This record gives sequence, C-alpha cells and structure tokens, in this order.
Amino acid sequence: MGENKQWRISLSLPSTMQLIYLLDTVISDILREMNFNEEAQEHVNLAVIEAGTNAIKHGNKEDINKTATFEFLIDEDRLTIVVTDEGIGFEREEVANPLEPENLLKSSGRGIFLMEACMDEVVYEKNGTIVKMVKNK
Amino acid sequence: MQINLRHNGNVIILDVEGNLVGHNTIALKNAIDDQIRESRGEPVFMILNLERVQMMDSSGLGVIVAAYASIKRNNGRIVLLNIGGNIRSLIIMAKLVTIFDRYDTEADAIASFL
Repeated sequence: MGENKQWRISLSLPSTMQLIYLLDTVISDILREMNFNEEAQEHVNLAVIEAGTNAIKHGNKEDINKTATFEFLIDEDRLTIVVTDEGIGFEREEVANPLEPENLLKSSGRGIFLMEACMDEVVYEKNGTIVKMVKNK
Repeated sequence: MQINLRHNGNVIILDVEGNLVGHNTIALKNAIDDQIRESRGEPVFMILNLERVQMMDSSGLGVIVAAYASIKRNNGRIVLLNIGGNIRSLIIMAKLVTIFDRYDTEADAIASFL
C-alpha cells in the first residue's frame, strides 16, 4: 500500500455464528498483508473473533435479519477495527472482571477482557453497539 | 472439529483437532459431558490433548473451565496435554494457569494420575 493512504475494507455478516469463520479468514489475510508479527496476529485475530461473537451472539442475539458490520481501516502504522451491531448495547462497567477469584471458574464473561488485553485501544460508543479497536505496529 | 476418544486404564483421553472457537466448541462440550454422564457420579480422570488445536477463544476457555468445575465436583481431574504457545498465553492471560495442570508428553500426563 502507498504511503499515508488509508485502506478501508468492510464486511457485513448476517447474525449467525456459522459465519464467524469468514471473519477469521478476512482478518488473517489483512494481518499477513500488514506484516504484523506472529504474536500480534494471534492477538488481533482473537480480539476480532471475540468482538464478532459479542456482536452476533450477544448484540444481535443471532437474529439472522440483523447485520453485524466490520470495518477494517488499514494505515501504515496501525489497524483500526470498527464492529457495529444492531442490539440494545451494554454498560462496560457492569461487566464483571473475569480475573477476580470469584469469577475465575465461570464458563463465560471473558470476551471483553480478552479484546482489551489483546488490542492497544478499545473504545465503546453508542452504548457498546459500536466497538473501535486499534492495534499499532 | 474432530474429537477422538481413547482410554489408558481409567484415564479418558480426548484428542482434539481444529479450532476451539465459537460454535465449534459445542462438539468438545458434548464429548466431555457424555463422559461425565457415563461416569454416573464416579470420579472422571481426563486428558485433553490439544496438540492439533491452533486457536482457542473465550468460548473454548469456557468449555474447559466448565469441564474442570464439573469433573472436580466429583473428585475427578482434568489436565491439558501438548498446548501450543498461543493457547498457553491465552491461559496465562486469563489467569487460569494455576488451575490447569499442563503436560508436554502423554506419558507424563498419564503418570500424573497414578
């Protein structure tokens, strides 16, 4: 890609978890193209899968008539991923910390934590129906 | 997702192949639940061989954590075998490293139950 030029790639998915593999395919190719190191590729891949799962499963409740949208903004030095769902949103502050001893053995509730641990920035907008994640090179 | 079931004495070994992500994790959950159900309350001793698992997400973590809790409740034990670097770092990140015993060889994993 040319200097200082931002590339924008968009993907809109009907809300079924069966299509998550498409997300994996697209982000894997983008990460390879951007020459992120192996660890960063694994982290971003995981964060995107978690954000996709949240949008499709928790946001859109796997309603096939609702769409989860993924925008990948590719800059020379960073990748920004914007995930949008059509759900009612959530309050970040109300999500329990999965690292607290009383939550360690819970079988769910780690998605948001993993997204935040794997990316350099995670910002929630419009009540959490839009999630912006950034990974710097 | 492919799961192969083997036994070594009273130890159940599940060889897992594929990515433990999203809906894929249901097959592993069902396989573990079947073994717990068939044990009829007796302790279950299980090895999860993850050598051929490249990627795991929070759904996959949820399945193995739920298995740990169910099996421990009946005084059984579940251990992980052959986990790759990315799954290892995921387990460390989620602070589950103190919960799961991990082994690099099947012989060591089997010996841990003796």
